[in-house]
Amino acid sequence: MKEKKKICKDPFTLLLIFTSLVVVSVFIVYPLFCILKSSIYYQGVFSFDTYMDTLSGSGFKIAFVNSMKLGFATAVTATITGFLFAYVDACVSSPFKKLYNVTSIVPVISPPFVLSLSAILLLGKRGLITYNFLGIKNANIYGFGGLLLVQTLAFFPVSAMMFKGMINNIDSSLEEASRNMGASRLKSFMTITLPLLLPGFANSFMLSFIESITDYSNPMIIGGGYKTLASQIYVQAIGNYKLQVGTTIAVILLMVTVFVFLLQRWLLSKKTFVTLTGKATRERQMIKEKSVVIPLNIICMLFTLCIWLFYAFLILGSFFKMWGIDYSMCLDNFIYVLTYSMDALRDSTIISLLAAPISGVFAMIVAYLVVRKKFRGKLYLEQASLLGLAVPGTVFGLGYILAFNNKPLLLTNTLAILVIVLAMTRLPVGVRSGIASLQQIDPSIEEAGRNLGASSNKVFWSITIPLIKSSFFSGLIFTFIKSMTSISAVIFLVSSRYNLLTVRMMTYVDKGRFGYAAACATLLIVVVFAVVGIVWKFLSKMGISTEDVMSNI
Amino acid sequence: MKKVTAMFLTSAMIVSSVAAVPVHADEAEYPETGKLVIYAGALEDECNAIGQAFEEYSGIDTEVVVLGGGEILARVQAESSNPTASIWWGGGCDSIMNAKDQDLMLQYYSPTAEAIPDNLKDADGYWTGVYTGYLGFVCNVQRLEELGIDAPDSWDDLLQEELKGEIMFAAPNASSTGYNVLSSIVQLMGEEEGLEYMTKLDGQMASYTERGTGWITPVTTGEITVGLCFLQDAVDLMVNEGYGDILTISTPEEGTGYEMGAVGIIAGGPDINSAQQFVDWCLTPEAQNIDQEYGHYVFLTNPDASTPEAAAELAKTTNLIDIDFLWAADHKSDLLEKWEEATGN
Repeated sequence: MKEKKKICKDPFTLLLIFTSLVVVSVFIVYPLFCILKSSIYYQGVFSFDTYMDTLSGSGFKIAFVNSMKLGFATAVTATITGFLFAYVDACVSSPFKKLYNVTSIVPVISPPFVLSLSAILLLGKRGLITYNFLGIKNANIYGFGGLLLVQTLAFFPVSAMMFKGMINNIDSSLEEASRNMGASRLKSFMTITLPLLLPGFANSFMLSFIESITDYSNPMIIGGGYKTLASQIYVQAIGNYKLQVGTTIAVILLMVTVFVFLLQRWLLSKKTFVTLTGKATRERQMIKEKSVVIPLNIICMLFTLCIWLFYAFLILGSFFKMWGIDYSMCLDNFIYVLTYSMDALRDSTIISLLAAPISGVFAMIVAYLVVRKKFRGKLYLEQASLLGLAVPGTVFGLGYILAFNNKPLLLTNTLAILVIVLAMTRLPVGVRSGIASLQQIDPSIEEAGRNLGASSNKVFWSITIPLIKSSFFSGLIFTFIKSMTSISAVIFLVSSRYNLLTVRMMTYVDKGRFGYAAACATLLIVVVFAVVGIVWKFLSKMGISTEDVMSNI
Repeated sequence: MKKVTAMFLTSAMIVSSVAAVPVHADEAEYPETGKLVIYAGALEDECNAIGQAFEEYSGIDTEVVVLGGGEILARVQAESSNPTASIWWGGGCDSIMNAKDQDLMLQYYSPTAEAIPDNLKDADGYWTGVYTGYLGFVCNVQRLEELGIDAPDSWDDLLQEELKGEIMFAAPNASSTGYNVLSSIVQLMGEEEGLEYMTKLDGQMASYTERGTGWITPVTTGEITVGLCFLQDAVDLMVNEGYGDILTISTPEEGTGYEMGAVGIIAGGPDINSAQQFVDWCLTPEAQNIDQEYGHYVFLTNPDASTPEAAAELAKTTNLIDIDFLWAADHKSDLLEKWEEATGN
């Protein structure tokens, strides 16, 4: 009660709370409400008939079971792979760390469906590896196996990033203390490191699960007959002209993801983890035992090779005259793409450059409010800002069109709608990582600042922000990259004035123009590298440790 | 308890945020924006060429947004209270017919539409066909050789033992192309026999694709042998993209169906005068002939327009059946239900 009264006298916090509540309500909750409405309200009549029809259809049941299976499998493999990469980077001695680090970034800087394309071209029935090199005639990459491979490769970097941030925030002296007191390596890992990372595991599992079941582009390309809920939303709403069936499936999918999300929160609410100082105080000693180093390195190396192969051939593919037929090198693909899709490349870059800071700053504000402040509507703010995580991009896009096509919120066909939708789809990730890093910082540090007479405003900018800045900047870079590579949310929102490169790319893939698609992907990767490089320079000029930021990526 | 309260608060906020948004503004009366926005559902370079040619012809600032037929419909639906585009050009006419049924299209009898045959336009003037594309088979030449068979030239050929697991087309309940296959077969063979054929064909499939163009990757890379699709996409790959020696196309001798791309005015869209001018113009032989330059190998609806060479060749050897688009649209859910039941999809 006292706390709440204090907030009323604190205009800065009050303003933050009010703005956050409004933004989240208008740009996340309202579009979802429009989707819900469109699933039950059609031409002036309220009815749940579509739900009845959809739920009783056998196609829906198959898609539902498929999505769950794939979601669980991908969540497990992506989490384990992500953790391994992070653990090797932070705790195990290895000569290949730089390579692993770069490798775990690569899938992030390209649209996820590019991996599907590579998988078909390399591992399919006529794949360069399976058919040309290994002579396997009936390799089948379509379906569950192919999807699991592609999604694991696409989604593990996110959990690797998160684990790295978390492991680096654990003070290694804790583990050393336990070792000194006679605990075995395994015991101190199980009783110290693992419990501290538990929020990370739950978080990573949840993120990967949701990413998997909301991913529509990979199932569309490599699914074969493997129907998933997310692809069915698109298929029904767009292919089959049944917007209402599509939104109905979307609402059901949303319920699943929200359930997973709440479950994860409930599991974590039982324990809290705070390390004393918030930041690791000194270098961690690397594990040198061969029994640990060798197997872990082998596993990481396998993944690394796989990813490099996929991308090397994607980039090579942009120079091939025609994949599978004429492997002579030329620049035709680039010339075509630069002629017809230069505008899309420019718009993609500008829009992502705008979305990143908006999303980043807002995410930190929300995370700060959620972790450090007590106020009415806090749970709503947290749930709603994280809700975006559970929303398939396609649904977000459709929701935005339904929501923002009327005055006073007329935003369709503007640059703003693209920027906002991208900022909002990435918001949950930023909020989550903000919350995670704030939770590891003891509030007493901020309290000390306040006790010394600093205002809320001052404490926020001089204590909280510096403590979470590496997580902030990595969030910033991450959002930029994700915006450059996002497809599902924006496919409905591009207009003649503002088009995006990924949408063009999907059109090329759809029409079988691999060369053009590969050239787009290559250009996109170049732009992302260039921008990230410039941000890097800028950060080191500002005296911000790029090492810290890097370790969060 | 606290969570329950928060949930209530959440729902309360949802309701209030919704209540705050006003219900539809009055139907704006064709605001003048000084430019024409077109939703186009064909190949990108061609759509842009159409837009540019119209701009040169009329002096009206023209913007073309290239989307798939289903995407245009979803957009027009979503934007119905405040349309941004006035013209819908191309994309399967079934999506425009669907839009007409939802009152999303505007009636307009264009004087130039009189030249278009009656079976290629809406009797009520809501849309007019601009091109048609034939349904047929696209095969990977190398795969045919390996299987030791000729390219299929009848529907029955698809059922031969060698092609088991070698065929792909779009699922009828997922894509308009897929439904076009189903409804064409039923119109050709009759309902009972047609469904029986589709069931047999189901046993031959590698898998159904989600989109009409889903066959392109597997067939061009030789994953499978036959794609069942609208041939203009294949001709375009062969003529413009260097797949001439890799693919071969054929049509069934019993006869085949076709799709139609149509043009219509979106109800409530801005600049209705420009929109009408566009419809008048795009149905003229001069405008339709633009298709020749841009590799969209389709058949033009205006009898005075000259069909692109590559397509004309195809027209000579193809046996087209009479397709009743209206019938197909009316029986869609019924036919799909029967098909799903018969094939277990």
